[in-house]
Amino acid sequence: MASYSRAAQQWATFARSWFLIDGRMQPPGKIAALTVVRLEGRHKPVYHALSDCGDHVVIINTRHIAFSGNKWEQKVYSSHSGYPGGFKQLTAVQLHQKDPTAIVKQAIYGMLPKNLHRRTMMQRLHLFPEDVIPENIQKNLLEELPQPRQIPKRLDEYTQEEIDAFPRVWNPPQDYHMK
Amino acid sequence: MTGRGTPSRFLASVLRNGLGRYVCQLQRLSLHGGDGECDPLPSPRDYVEEKVVDFARYNPGIAVYVNPKDCQGPTVVAEYLNGAVREESVANQTAEDIAQLIGKLANQSGLEIVRIRKPFHTNHPSIQGQWHPFTNKPSGLGLQTLRRVHRPGFPPPE
Repeated sequence: MASYSRAAQQWATFARSWFLIDGRMQPPGKIAALTVVRLEGRHKPVYHALSDCGDHVVIINTRHIAFSGNKWEQKVYSSHSGYPGGFKQLTAVQLHQKDPTAIVKQAIYGMLPKNLHRRTMMQRLHLFPEDVIPENIQKNLLEELPQPRQIPKRLDEYTQEEIDAFPRVWNPPQDYHMK
Repeated sequence: MTGRGTPSRFLASVLRNGLGRYVCQLQRLSLHGGDGECDPLPSPRDYVEEKVVDFARYNPGIAVYVNPKDCQGPTVVAEYLNGAVREESVANQTAEDIAQLIGKLANQSGLEIVRIRKPFHTNHPSIQGQWHPFTNKPSGLGLQTLRRVHRPGFPPPE
């Protein structure tokens, strides 16, 4: 028999965990796919669609997300206020400058199931543009989820020794004039 | 139980009866009627003459009453330890039929005969325990993964 009581174990079963995701250099869609599973509670063996067993997800560095391709310029976020002439269209860059958490929020909101639980699950999502989190949220954090995309290393992050040791296909002659 | 549908219960025995000593749940058996002395039809009188004494002798835990007064019709009334009372009509039944019926009543637990929701039962639903968020997770989970965030009350990240 376990040292804890059955009641305490049942409370633990339905307790809500808090996950942290670092959005730095990550595609918003991949972060959203990771997040939606946690918000719905689909990662739990006790999952049921009606049991409201979702967890909290904290996403930091949403200002530093990375779109691939030309999505920053070409991807358009549309909204309509309901009034005549209230149709607004913003590119990803414009929306990101207006609100650095909006793109990730929109991606997650779109991936959640379209039912009455969607707003409730969105309330368990906490987005922060930088890596500064309020203390009461920091206290709750349980686990940081691994980033879906490995961050590529920039050239200026390599040391000079590593650059020199990199194998070259062709060594230019001494008198070669670099354009 | 909701208002719709038939009554139902889960499979259970009375106080885990039979796990140790078996306690017969039938406490009282009454036979009413059966004075059809010159009746050509089979009647509980045959049972009373042939078998009821043997039944009472072999089942000392059951109080057997025989009431020869003719009332609505020959019946067998079984009263169980949980207060349930079952009344069965034994009109036009032979002694063998009545013996079979009384044997069935003596073996029953007295729980109401309704639809059983699941045909299986266990006192220990899970040996390894219910799932909780830390099942199959390493201890010190937050300390291992939350390196970049300093949490109050925890050692600072290295």
